[in-house]
Amino acid sequence: MQADVAVIGGGPAGLAAALEAAEHADDVVLLERDGELGGILPQCIHHGFGNFIFGERWTGPEYAQHYVDRVHASIIDVLTDTMVLDIAADKTITAVTPHRGVFTVKAKAIVLAMGCRERTRSQIRLPGPRPAGIYTAGTAQRLINIEGTMPGSRAVILGSGDVGLIMARRLTWEGATVEGVYEIMPHPGGLTRNVVQCLHDHDIPLHLGHTVTDIHGTRRVEAVTVARVDEDMQPIPGTERNIPCDTLILAVGLIPENELSRDAGISLDPATGGPAVDQHMETTQPGIYACGNVVHVHDVVDDVTIAAQTAGHHAARAAGDPQPGHAAPVQPGRNVSYVVPQRVTAADTDVRFYLRVQRERRNAAVMVHGDGDLLHEQRERVVRPPEMVTLTVPAEKLQHVKNINVEVHDG
Amino acid sequence: MNERALSKKVMRAIRHIRPAIEVSVDDGIVSLDGHASSYDEYLEAGRAAGRITGVDGVVNDLSYPGKPEPCTPEGNSETVATADVVIVGGGVTGCMIARELSRYDLDIILLEKEPDVACGATKANNAMVHTGIGEPMGTLKQQLCIEGHRMYPRLCEELDVPYHQCGMWIVLTPASFTDLPVPTWLATRIGRYLVPRVLLRRAKKLGLPMEQVAVEEVKRREPHITDDIAAAVFSPTYGVTCPYRLTIALAENAADNGVDIMLNTAVTDIDTGNGHVTGVVTTRGRIKTSWIINAAGLHADRVAEMAGAREYTIHPKRGAIALFDSRHNGYVAHCMSLLRFPRREHYKGGGVMVTADGNIQWGPTMMETPHRDDTAVTADDLTTIFKRYRPLLPDLPVRDVITYFAGLRACTFTEDFVIRPARHVEGFIHVAGIQSPGLAAAPAVAARAISTLREQGVILPEKPGFEPRRRRPPAFHESSPEERQRRIERDSRHGHVVCRCEHVTEGDVVAAIHRPVPARTVDAVKRRTRAGMGRCQGGFCLPRIAAILAREHDIPLEDVHKNGDGSYLFIGRAKSLLEADHAG
Repeated sequence: MQADVAVIGGGPAGLAAALEAAEHADDVVLLERDGELGGILPQCIHHGFGNFIFGERWTGPEYAQHYVDRVHASIIDVLTDTMVLDIAADKTITAVTPHRGVFTVKAKAIVLAMGCRERTRSQIRLPGPRPAGIYTAGTAQRLINIEGTMPGSRAVILGSGDVGLIMARRLTWEGATVEGVYEIMPHPGGLTRNVVQCLHDHDIPLHLGHTVTDIHGTRRVEAVTVARVDEDMQPIPGTERNIPCDTLILAVGLIPENELSRDAGISLDPATGGPAVDQHMETTQPGIYACGNVVHVHDVVDDVTIAAQTAGHHAARAAGDPQPGHAAPVQPGRNVSYVVPQRVTAADTDVRFYLRVQRERRNAAVMVHGDGDLLHEQRERVVRPPEMVTLTVPAEKLQHVKNINVEVHDG
Repeated sequence: MNERALSKKVMRAIRHIRPAIEVSVDDGIVSLDGHASSYDEYLEAGRAAGRITGVDGVVNDLSYPGKPEPCTPEGNSETVATADVVIVGGGVTGCMIARELSRYDLDIILLEKEPDVACGATKANNAMVHTGIGEPMGTLKQQLCIEGHRMYPRLCEELDVPYHQCGMWIVLTPASFTDLPVPTWLATRIGRYLVPRVLLRRAKKLGLPMEQVAVEEVKRREPHITDDIAAAVFSPTYGVTCPYRLTIALAENAADNGVDIMLNTAVTDIDTGNGHVTGVVTTRGRIKTSWIINAAGLHADRVAEMAGAREYTIHPKRGAIALFDSRHNGYVAHCMSLLRFPRREHYKGGGVMVTADGNIQWGPTMMETPHRDDTAVTADDLTTIFKRYRPLLPDLPVRDVITYFAGLRACTFTEDFVIRPARHVEGFIHVAGIQSPGLAAAPAVAARAISTLREQGVILPEKPGFEPRRRRPPAFHESSPEERQRRIERDSRHGHVVCRCEHVTEGDVVAAIHRPVPARTVDAVKRRTRAGMGRCQGGFCLPRIAAILAREHDIPLEDVHKNGDGSYLFIGRAKSLLEADHAG
């Protein structure tokens, strides 16, 4: 089949990108590997979605349904249970689905919206045996909220990212005991509101500067050993403690899922793990766009939707008329771990930057420099690594700039 | 040598370790009794006795602080079956014997305590089909390794199992000599001259092909290998297979040829009468038989003890392996082994290996452990692996290690294979101490076990209908677009991808569940289909695989296990804990 715009992934990013593309293009196809649209949202049954866009506190399924209903009412051709196997350089997508078999989509433009996956136990080099009862937080969430089955009754949670915090509360509500949340960093990994609502409100202890150093049990988890860590994140001998439990939940980070992007020859930014994009969300492969957690991991879904609309809009335009242009690279400077977009092409509209800081600071100044001149400054009461900073720089300031640098100074 | 002389020799050898150890010798079998102050001392005494010429086995009964108590599950004495031959153990050795024995017109039962075959040392093997060049000269394991290695191409062709003659570099770098008490530059200069010559001469003697390759040529063929190479030889016939897929294929082929593969069946006792085996008691009932082949791996000494045939003690050696993301497949052309001097037992084996699927793996390590379930990978294991193999491939990013695992080698103190009839019990054949190169040797080990059976008087009539061939079910990830299309049209589940990292379909999983040796657990599905082996390590597919297993076996989801008994994945339906609270 043929399409003006093919969107890969039917989560919040793919839904918004497809809807926006359908405003400007005739043939839009949305490819989703799961049986239903919505991505991870249907299993996120807690509320807090849509604060920024709708001023509502929807649950994940409600937020997803808002877009799913619009997609079904639109001209978008939706293919579920459809796994993309390959993207060729000429933007031909090969996919497989139970009802059609193996087929191809020749697209004029592609939007990558595959989302992210959870880091595993091996990626944090957690030693010990390999019994049953070790789950990533997202898998545990799916088991309880979608499959309706309980992964365990007494859990230790490693990592205080948002999914870990949400799962601490969810397990407690299900009648399981959560022995504690252990975080290797000196600060929580998730949003402050989640620390308060998920842990403090339920008397679940949060142990900062701690990690799991061993697992016990050969068939099923029987206990884990936790220890305090030093400044280099190495366990401090003598601080080990054994905690009996039947379940270890890992909330140790998310990784943009870019196997397809890599195979398609798209350059990835090592700092984000996702494709390097310009302000239109175009990757380094002309006509291939990316948005959502496949580009970098977002804190809130509203930001995903906004970036996806940009990607969908420009993908539809590119499908008609590709517009190459000069690109100014964007460099992360002082106290910035990454910035998206990684480059700015001829700026015709205001550019929204997303960045993460390396260290927590109060009264900070986020500064955007162009060729050494200060273009824009934004004051932030507090900046923290887990909370993404966004700022919008007017288009006129970015024109004719060859190099852009973003840094965060102490106020 | 008479028993008195042998006993004295053993006593002399272990006196310095602990004079109070009692030594007794019976027909070449040395028994050690008394107390050791530590596990290390226990090992040292066992090894010292095992090294002595004339010692055929060491039963090490020394106690030491913290010695784990063996626990045997309860048996069921009701007679449920009769067999001509019972094979104990469903590893590569037991399954190879079962398959080879199924050529003959016999009633054969294979007993495996786990819910699948290949659950012990076999599954954590590093997959190398060694040529025999690295084994101690003149040992049984070397002889059977050389013979077994030659049998592999045909075996794997018959069973439709991957076998690649990948070849191996045996490499010297300055790191090979840093432990020697001479300056490294000097040792390197001498070693680069001497070592290849020794290896080439040894290869010639064993009839194995081997060539010395100039350093520039090595760099040309392996651009990512370290620049530090001092010398290298190439062993072109080194092979790689997939140990668990081979074992599953052997079990399936054996089952197709009439062998009864009894899974989830642990041996709890062995019946004897008038000095001859009469039966075996298991957790699922008693089987009457006159012949038992003990291929119980790590537990072979305990099974032998049940028959009254204690002739060795197993001391497990743990080996840990780190596996890289398939992103780096093709990074090396051949396997690589870095020689180290002086030759120490714990440096044996290991290196940069390429699995049958093309993934790079580093390892294995070698660590003694008193625990027969100690397959944990420690932080030290990982440090050791990275430290040891990074010098060979300095630019391979270790952050792309997607998993690591460990297995236990079933070693005896004589450190060689034990394939022989029990000394005082008729009808009991030992196939024990099968450590490295047990995978490579397996076909020859089976041949020897069967000829031992024949020598003992078992009549082996050829079975006319024996089918040596077995085909594996076609897998989506290795099929052409046309094949995929054909299968999807026949059954749409072949178009439903359930493991997104490895592109495994529901059709693949269902096929694995309905084979002659059915997959019953999540890990069994993983070994047959690769579902869960990829970079997300099952995070995505676990709920889906578990649901398919529950549906196909018609059991509640909560009864699906990861692997063996006790490895439950779910504790009950959602809300069950709350209901329990109310009830309580």
